[in-house]
Amino acid sequence: MNRPVRLATAMLATTLLTAPALAQQPASITVAWYGGNWGDAFRACVAEPFTKATGIAVKAEIGTSTVTLSKLQQQKAAPTIDVAWMDGGISELALAAEVTDNLDAAAIPNLANTLPEAIYKSGSTTYAVGTGYYSLGLTYNTQKVKTAPTSWNDLWKPEFEDAVTIPSPANSAGVPFVMFLSKIWGGTPGDLAPTFKKIKELKAALFFDSSGAATNAYQSGEAIIGAHFNVGAWDLADKGLPIGFVVPKEGAWATDARLHLVKGTPKKDAAAKFINQALTPEASGCLAEKLYLGPSVKNVVVKPETARKLPWGETGSVKTLQVFDWTEINTLRSGVVDAWNREIARK
Amino acid sequence: MSGRLRTVLLLCALPAAFFVAFFLAPMAVVLIASLTTPDGHLTFAHYLRILADSYHWDVLWVTFRLGALTTLVSVLIGYPLAWYLVRVVRWRPWRRFCVILLIVPLFTSNIVRSFGWMVLLGRNGLVNDSLIGLGLIERPMRFLGTELGILIGLVYILLPFIVLAVGNALAKVDPALEHAAADLGATPAGTFWTITFPLSLPGLMSGAVMVFMLAVSAYVTPALLSGGRITVFSMLIFQQYSSVFDFNYGGALSITMLVLTLVLVTLAGRLSEPRRA
Repeated sequence: MNRPVRLATAMLATTLLTAPALAQQPASITVAWYGGNWGDAFRACVAEPFTKATGIAVKAEIGTSTVTLSKLQQQKAAPTIDVAWMDGGISELALAAEVTDNLDAAAIPNLANTLPEAIYKSGSTTYAVGTGYYSLGLTYNTQKVKTAPTSWNDLWKPEFEDAVTIPSPANSAGVPFVMFLSKIWGGTPGDLAPTFKKIKELKAALFFDSSGAATNAYQSGEAIIGAHFNVGAWDLADKGLPIGFVVPKEGAWATDARLHLVKGTPKKDAAAKFINQALTPEASGCLAEKLYLGPSVKNVVVKPETARKLPWGETGSVKTLQVFDWTEINTLRSGVVDAWNREIARK
Repeated sequence: MSGRLRTVLLLCALPAAFFVAFFLAPMAVVLIASLTTPDGHLTFAHYLRILADSYHWDVLWVTFRLGALTTLVSVLIGYPLAWYLVRVVRWRPWRRFCVILLIVPLFTSNIVRSFGWMVLLGRNGLVNDSLIGLGLIERPMRFLGTELGILIGLVYILLPFIVLAVGNALAKVDPALEHAAADLGATPAGTFWTITFPLSLPGLMSGAVMVFMLAVSAYVTPALLSGGRITVFSMLIFQQYSSVFDFNYGGALSITMLVLTLVLVTLAGRLSEPRRA
């Protein structure tokens, strides 16, 4: 009764112990990315071409940026994730948590073809590289809203009473959006009280905590105007819903999905190759076509139909995006969340 | 003898290890975080920050009020439903079908079902359309972002727990006791209140406690149906862990909620304990 079990355990242990030592090139690497259409796009645009070129399989570890960061913190001693996608904001926290390794330009030659804005450095280490921008712009129901909105202030118009949605601080865009509004209204980050006063006057249908909740609200007609990510808004429009997305005259707040090399990974070479693959014009162009992520790689050409759906809108470019300093946002985070709870999320 | 003891120990070791690894250890991590500063010194500052601030008490009041209302409504709907299933339905296939109907939603995630309610309760949703169609209201009523909306969602999700617990208790009541009461001249209502109801009370209580605990700790349903306009305590905890990353303060919020819920449930248990002669 006992002997076969012991034998099986011993055999299993032997396999586990010897397997990594045998392979020079690992059979697979583990990459953390997001769920849904994001994960599908990362697989199709980066992982599959990578496997085709190198023969290394890619195992997906699906989770949101924050979940991935917690996993990396817990696995610090012996990471099982080799490469991780995390959004701007969480990326800076990952740097502070010391779970990211330097991206070496020799191992990742395509860093040279990447926009300088998308290479994130702390001192002499490159801790992250952007693989595409997305923005939070004005989204509206083209049937219910006759004239396309042009300004964020249009959300306060009486005709949109009880049919507006903007992100809540539970959403990753929530805290930066408060600071973005403060900035376009001429406020200072130190004094957000006037901004909160004005948000309190907004007759909102709901404050969305997830991108899915926003999509749902526009789809059901609960919200007919408000903020949404270009990725989610155009996805709705592509499905045939009467949804429009514009970058207002004040601009749109934007951030990006970044790749990180996990510190202490035993498969560093393969991981670097994977990141290099993500920075090819083909991969970047593919992500733009599938998710409307604004390419972070130089000289990527996309179809005109795709170009107008990129985060900077029809006329902008990466230079017109309002990309904030996340380190500053992270220091103000707890105060903004607290003020929001007391001022807005309460009757 | 020692061989048998070893088998027993081995059999117990697995669940015990599971309990320690997946319940006690995480709980200890949260508790320790709640009592320390980020650099590891002992402090009660997080608890002081919670308990000395009336804002937190406001949110706790909303949370426990919603929990109590959810329990009350679930009991009022669930008890008759259980009665119907156990006592009224005679045709077995129909009873089985009703039970399946009751349980099937439990196989779908809360998120999907709450999204469903967002669509149903929306301004252009089925509920408002029907109410307007029937001429009961003129303008769409606001459900999303109100406590009523959250209550509807929570009752829908937690109702099966009451029905199953009460149904189980009712099925176990010995019909001979009720016949005896009727023989001795008790009216049907008298029989119910003196015999059947007290005997089903343990089932009702366990169902009610389950519903209350699940309602006050619910996150997904209130988060989606509140539209970010009402805050319940679990949302404050989620914010600290997922968006502010203050695990110490978040831990203290979690422990506060846990302790208060346990106190309330214990009190309720004491009050409703059947008096023994």
